[in-house]
This record gives sequence, C-alpha cells and structure tokens, in this order.
Amino acid sequence: MKLSYDFIQSFFKEKLPPPDQLADLLMMHFFEVEEIQRTRDDFVLDVDILSSRASDCLSHMGVAREIAAIAEMKYSLPERRVKEGREEIFGKVDVEVKDDCHRYMLRGIEGVKVGESPSYIKKRLRSCGVKPINNVVDITNYVMLETGQPLHGFDAAKIEGEKVVVRRAKKREKIVTLDEKRYELDEDVLVIADEFSPIGIAGIKGGIVPEIDKSTETVYLEAANFDSKSIRKGSRSVGIRTDASLRFEYGIPCELAEVAMERAVAMICDIAKGKALKGVIDYYPEKTRRPEISFEAEEVRNILGVEVPLKNMEKILRSLEFKVQRNNNAFYVIPPYFRLDIKEKEDVVEEIGRTYGYENIKEDPPREIIVPRERAGEFLAEEDSKRSWEALGFFESYNYSFINEKMSFPFNRKELIEMEKPVSLEFKYLRPSLLPGLLRNLRDNEMNFKEVKLFEIGKVFRKKEEEVSERKMMALLSSADDFHEMKGKLNKFFERILIDEVSYNECEDKGGLFNEHHVAKVLYGGEVIGCFGEISEDIRKRLKLKSNAMMGEFDFEKVQELHKETKEYDPVSRFPSSRRDIALLVPQETLYDEVLQKIRKAGGKTLRNIELFDVYKGKEIPEGMKNFAFRLYFQHKGKTLTSKEVNRMYEKIIAVLEEVSDWKVRK
Amino acid sequence: MKSEDIDQLKDRFLKEVKKENSSKERKKICKRYIEEELSSVFCSLKNLSGERKAEIGKKANELRKLISDLLENEKEKVFQAEKEFDITLPGKNVELGSIHPITKLQKKCERIFLRMGFAIAEGPELENEWYNFDALNFEEDHPVREMQDTLFVKQKNREELPSQERFLMRTHTSPVQVRYMKDREPPFRIIVPGRVFRNEATDSSHEINFYQLEGLMVGENISVANFRSVVGYFFKELFDADVGIRLRPSFFPFTEPSFEVDVSCSICEKKGCSVCKKTGWIEVMGAGMVHPNVLRSADVDPSYFNGFAFGLGIDRIAMIKHKIDDIRLFYSGDLRFLRQF
Repeated sequence: MKLSYDFIQSFFKEKLPPPDQLADLLMMHFFEVEEIQRTRDDFVLDVDILSSRASDCLSHMGVAREIAAIAEMKYSLPERRVKEGREEIFGKVDVEVKDDCHRYMLRGIEGVKVGESPSYIKKRLRSCGVKPINNVVDITNYVMLETGQPLHGFDAAKIEGEKVVVRRAKKREKIVTLDEKRYELDEDVLVIADEFSPIGIAGIKGGIVPEIDKSTETVYLEAANFDSKSIRKGSRSVGIRTDASLRFEYGIPCELAEVAMERAVAMICDIAKGKALKGVIDYYPEKTRRPEISFEAEEVRNILGVEVPLKNMEKILRSLEFKVQRNNNAFYVIPPYFRLDIKEKEDVVEEIGRTYGYENIKEDPPREIIVPRERAGEFLAEEDSKRSWEALGFFESYNYSFINEKMSFPFNRKELIEMEKPVSLEFKYLRPSLLPGLLRNLRDNEMNFKEVKLFEIGKVFRKKEEEVSERKMMALLSSADDFHEMKGKLNKFFERILIDEVSYNECEDKGGLFNEHHVAKVLYGGEVIGCFGEISEDIRKRLKLKSNAMMGEFDFEKVQELHKETKEYDPVSRFPSSRRDIALLVPQETLYDEVLQKIRKAGGKTLRNIELFDVYKGKEIPEGMKNFAFRLYFQHKGKTLTSKEVNRMYEKIIAVLEEVSDWKVRK
Repeated sequence: MKSEDIDQLKDRFLKEVKKENSSKERKKICKRYIEEELSSVFCSLKNLSGERKAEIGKKANELRKLISDLLENEKEKVFQAEKEFDITLPGKNVELGSIHPITKLQKKCERIFLRMGFAIAEGPELENEWYNFDALNFEEDHPVREMQDTLFVKQKNREELPSQERFLMRTHTSPVQVRYMKDREPPFRIIVPGRVFRNEATDSSHEINFYQLEGLMVGENISVANFRSVVGYFFKELFDADVGIRLRPSFFPFTEPSFEVDVSCSICEKKGCSVCKKTGWIEVMGAGMVHPNVLRSADVDPSYFNGFAFGLGIDRIAMIKHKIDDIRLFYSGDLRFLRQF
C-alpha cells in the first residue's frame, strides 16, 4: 500500500522521524517498506502490509497507531463531529441477505456544493495513487485511505422509489459502473438497488446512474460491512477487484463503519458546505464479540525466551489499545475493536515480542531431550547412488516436474495428470517419467558436446482411474556408450551400492521410447526394477536428435529398499589360482547367459571366476555357429590345488557342456 | 666354447634389444650384456689356446664394440629425451561426472542439522489441499490462500470434493510438519528438504519448481531464543563465516509469532554490496513459532507442547553462494553449467 508521509504526520503534533528512519523503525517492528519515493510536495512510502493486518492497517490511521506504539509518540485523530440539521433523513434500508451483510449505514447531506477539493486532500490522494475527481467523491476516497472503511456516496435525486435494497443480483441482471463499463451479473454477486434496478455492485464498485456530479444537491452516503467470502465470490464472478473489494475480502471490523461515516459526513458538511440530515439509518443486527484472553507472564517468557518486565508488557499492550487487567503475573486482556487478527494467547505474545523488539532476544540453546528417530537409510541410498553415477562420469540433471503435449505421446493418456491453468503450456502435464526431461537435455547439449552423460533422481506422477500417485525414479542417458558399455556401467552401479544379483531379460514393453530390439528389463529376484536400451528411431526423428544414445529408468524406491550399506569382506585366498581356457562352438542364437549358467553350475565353489574374452564368428567357424572363448580361474580357500584336481574339474565342465547336442568344445 | 656361441649371443642380444621400445630399457640390456654375458666370455677365453682364442676373442671384441656403440647411442638418446621432457605439457583429461549444486547444498544443510540431532523427513510433492492449506491454518476462501500461486490438478467437479481429495502441487514443504507429527509422539526435531511448486511466470529469479528446506522443532518448552540459537549456528556453518541474524515481524498462517530471518551479508561483511542490495542483510528464511492450530491439526496438544518452524529457499542460497544470476540454470540440464560443480 502507498502511504503519504504528510497524511501520517496529520495524526501527530510532534514531528515524525525522517522518512528513511521511519522506514527502518517500521521494518524492525512492523512491516517492510519496499520503497520511499520523493514527490514534489510529499514522500510516498510503499509498505508491504501483512495480510493478517489488512483489517486495520490498509489505512493511514492504522499505521499511525502502530508508529505511536513503537516510537512511543502520541497520536490523535483530527477532531471531526457532525452537526445535524432539522430535516430528517428520508427512506428505508432493506437488507435481504442477512448472512452477507453484517452492517449497513446510510446518512444524508443536503445542499451540497460539488466542486474542487482543497489542496491538502488532493496532494494526499495523489501520493496514494488516487486521482482527485470532486470534493464529495474525494472525501469518500480520502476517508477510506484514512480509516480503511470503503464508503460510497450517491445522488439521492437519482434514486427511484423510497428504499435502498441489499440483495443478490438476478441472473443476467445488467449494470453500468462508474467507469462506464457494462456488466452482466449473476446470483453470486451482491448489489445495492433502488426499488427497480441495481445502483451499485455491493462492496466492489458503484453504478453510473446515481453518480455524483455538479448538479448533485443531496448526497446519500453508505458505510457498510459485507461478508468477506461473499465479496470475494462476487468479485471473482464479475472480474473486478477494487481498493474497496480488497478491504472487504480481508475483512474489516463492523465498528469501523460508524467511525468513517462520522468523519466523512463532517468533512462533506465542512468542505462541500452541506447540511447533515437528522438521523442515521443503521442496519446492525449483531454486534461483534471480542475475545477475552488470559495468560500468565511466565507463558510469555517461555515462548519468547526473554524476561520482558511486567510493567513493559502492560505498557506495550496499552499502547496498542488493548484493555488490560493485571493481577501480579496474571493478565486478562481484550483486544481493541480494530484488531480482528488477535484471537488467542500466541497472538498477544507476538504483539509483546515485536514491540519489545526481537533484537532484545538473545540466543539460548535448546535443552530438550533428543529422541533417536528412524534411521535415514533411504537418504543414504540416494547419496550413494548419486556419488556412484558421478564416479561413472555422469552429470546430475534437474528437470521440470512437467512435460508439454509434444513430449506426452509415448505415454498412456489415461495415466497422465493434467494441470489446471498452468502459466505455460510447457507445464501441461505432470511428468510420468524422467526420460522426456533427459531427452530434452540431450537435444539441448548436442551442439556443444560430443558426449552427453546424464542422470536424474526425482518424482514421477501417474493416475489410475481417479487415483493419483507419485514415485521416485532414477533415470540415465548416455550418448557415449553402446548397449553393452551401458550394461557394464549399470553393473558397476549396482555393485557399488551393494545390490548384487541383478539380471537382465528381454523386454516386452515397447512404449515407443526404445528401439524394440535393443532394450532389456532389469530384474532383482524375479521382480522388474527398471529397463534400459537404445532410443527409438521414432523419438530421434521427432526430437531431431543427431546422436544415438542409451537410456534407462529405474524404480528408485525399490533401489532404496535393496540398497545395503555394509559389504561383507570376502577373504583373499592365500593359495594360488589356476587358469584353464575353453573354446566353445555354439549355434549363433545361443545366449551367453545359458552357457554361463551351465559352466557355473558344473564348476561349483572352486571355480572362482569366469571371464568371456572373445566372441568370434566367421573364418574357421562353421556356418551358423559362433565361438565363445572363456578363461576359467580355479582357486580353493584352504589348499593349493594340484594340476590333477584342476584338470578333473575342467574335464567335468567340458563334459557338461558337450551334453548339449549342438555345442562343441574345441580342442 | 665355440665361435658359434658368440654368434648365438649376438642374435640373442639383437632380438632382445629390438623387442624393447624404450631407450632406457635398451640401455639396461646393453649394460647387462657387456657387464655379465661378455665379461664371462672374456673370462673363459684364458682357458682357450692359440687360434681359437684369437678367433673367438676377435669376435667377442667386435660384439663388444657393437654393443658399446649402441650403448653410447642410446645414452645420447636418453639424455636427449630427458632434456626434451616437458613437465608443463597439459595433464591428460579425465572425464568425471558431477553432482547438482542444489543436491550438494541440500546435503550440506542436512549435515549441519543432523549434528544438532535433527532427523530427515520427506513427503509427497503431489499434495492434497487439506495438508497444504487447511491443516496449516489457512482460512478457507481467504485471499491469503492466493499469496502462493498454487498449481492445481485438473479434476472433475473439483469444487464439490472435500479438501482431502482436491489435489495440488505443494506450494511449500510445510505440509510434512503435520504429516510427520500426526503419527508420532513429541518431541520432534526434523528437517524436510524437497521440491515445491508455484504457478508463476518464470524469470531469472522465479521458477515453477524450486527447493525448500523445512525445519521443525517441537517440545515442552521451546522459545524464540532457542530458535535464534539453532538457526544462528546453522547459518554460521552454512556460510562458513561469523554471520549474524536478525528477526523481523512477518505473517504466515501457520506460525505465531512469525518472522522473516535476515542473515548479515558474508560477501561485503555488512558494508553493502549488490547481493544484499546495499543493506548489509539478506532475507533468507521465513519462520516462527508453530501456530497452536497446526499442532491441533496434527493431534498434538498445544497446552503441553510448542515449537518453532522455518522454511529456507535452497535455490536462493545456492545462487548467493555460487554467484549464479539466473535460477533457471538449475533446471536447464545444460552441461556447460553442470560440469562446473
């Protein structure tokens, strides 16, 4: 809110501190001053009013009250009293919407001379960014800026019938507002109407029909209190937000209506030379009750962690206009009518704390017992995983949690979660996978780097029926590796985070992301934990990717579950190992894994390591066959193996392999 | 000994020398042949007589000449090579990966709080409205709910659903306070690092998603002075400097009293620079004493327990620490950026 320094000064006889000092004072005890601007004849303080204090501090009066309390200065409202004439106010108010309107006051002023406002009013309005119009309208705006109560004045002669009605708009009812814009209303909107048609949108904006102009003689002034939720709904429905509607949306006290009414009528009588009509029409069925709050001084000390002297506490609360009764350490307080934000003890503690000054609270280490909590194993898994990929040469990427329409094609539409009015269509869906993000990174990095190696750990989102769910995933992408190089890196990764025994299998899932022949699923104990493979031709074309790349995605929650922190030591044998080579001819479609399993089974414990050192087909090898060359290492934990023993095991393995009809060990 | 033995020795020598690539090694071979092999030949010469002695001696001398010439030559080469050896040539490039700067900073924050007995908790990013707002004392249908531009999930008849079934992307990590407290007994000390979302246009200081670190300490007697101590220590460790903090009044629905926490600028030491906008202080954290209504939402009795909570923007701290001028770089996946960390 823009505040006029000159306006604030009008509440004090004493001189205020200079604007920059005032700003510092406000910042440490009250609100942040975003900017101080010097104008021709004033200073404008742009103050960030906290929303809890909108009900009393979207006003110069409220801010002046605060300054009085924190700077220990004396503030007073300039005296303004209405002298009523003999003529009685005419007409009736009919509030049809009891829940939406808590108070409705109407007063009349006759013999008004509409003209220009005095210069101090115009100056202060301009400082607050309000354009002066004429003295009556300016006064309603001025008093709103002064007190925070929205006011509305209208020309009594332009009203038809004998009553003012507060009601809901009818469907498709029309109104032209003061700024000459046409609106079609509905039942969500409250209106002020005469007997026939709306003359204003309640709490939001006046209608043009009863506008105050040069010819106006009798002014009716409205000071009302509308329910914040109703105004909010109405304001959204018509799409207008004004200084008035904003104040109602945050909520203002009902008592404020009479304060503002009294001041505005007095000013109109004084400045526009009018005469107040006798009497007030005041619909005010239920007075607001204020909370009564009791607390002990000790409670304040416990929360703040500082001993504020009892006298100080009392003085602070009185300066903030609380009603205070104190019996030694026991306080009983009632907040002033304008403090709608004070509801319980903690609210009062804040008032004492900030006024006393948080700078007076010194550091004091907590003396709480520490209860050991659950171990953070899953966080260690994440840290270990990231370190492993870093060591394998991969860079950690963070992508948006969203994808656009273009990237959504490989996924099941029914599973995608759509956002409501995202700021950009780039963020249309929640990401169902981390891969689109990494693919985007590949494309963006291609022109600068020959090799792109990235990983990401993050949440993905899907829905089944209407059930939404999220899951933590891990994804990788490398344009520097081929299928088997990538597989080697995956093995290294799982080895490092101590998940052994992962296996690879053919993958039926052909979602369009991967090349359907070069993709494998990764399993642990028969359960799929992820898959990896080569990017499909389709994706490369769509994204105009130059390079080929491997990528994969894994269920990271599974990885966290399987991750181990401690590895068991495998004792180094004191006894030498012996080596034997085997060359095995098999049909070309035979998988390495089949052969491996056979050798492993036949070799038993003493066969410590099996190394595949060559796969060959071509010259010297029969059509349709290939040759696997294995190197086998035999080692016993408790003794040196004799060559006789080694040969016996070796012969056994050969025999087992040759049991398979198409396999042949070359000798 | 026969003269063929010398021929064989010569062949063996040449074969061995040819196989070796480095001058240094060749030098060693030459030396070995002169000092060991040939000297034993010369030794055994004295047992021979006349003609054979002269013949073999001549051959052996020829071989020695050959080897020592070669040795001289190799010596020269080694000398030359050593002279040419350039220690200033660049090291061979080793390509390592890197960990994202946000992860690194988050881990640093975690370590500091773990030392103070805090545990780490997590919660869903796709949250429901009850945890994100209702449970945190945000009044229903109040402008305060709009302070944080919320990104909602598109749902059929959303307005008619109860708040537990209306989904949104969490606007802060604070919902985890209630989720964590709900099924545990106080006291609590936790931090909650995680991704949060705001539906606002992106620019150099705003992103649609970013990272927060939430903190919560609840016990029987927790005060603002305790908060100052815990957070004061944290910032000293985080900036690795003797920084100070100050509290300014603020408002959050879920804390009362509420503060903004400023930390003294470690870059200019409070003299005023562009990072602190010449004020000497940087706004880094929103905090306060947990509102009794939040404790009630989590079934904790506020007449026995109270505490403090805070929220720290990790991206912002990372930007200050690394002097990064655009938040969007964190989410760009640009290797020119990532490989610097």
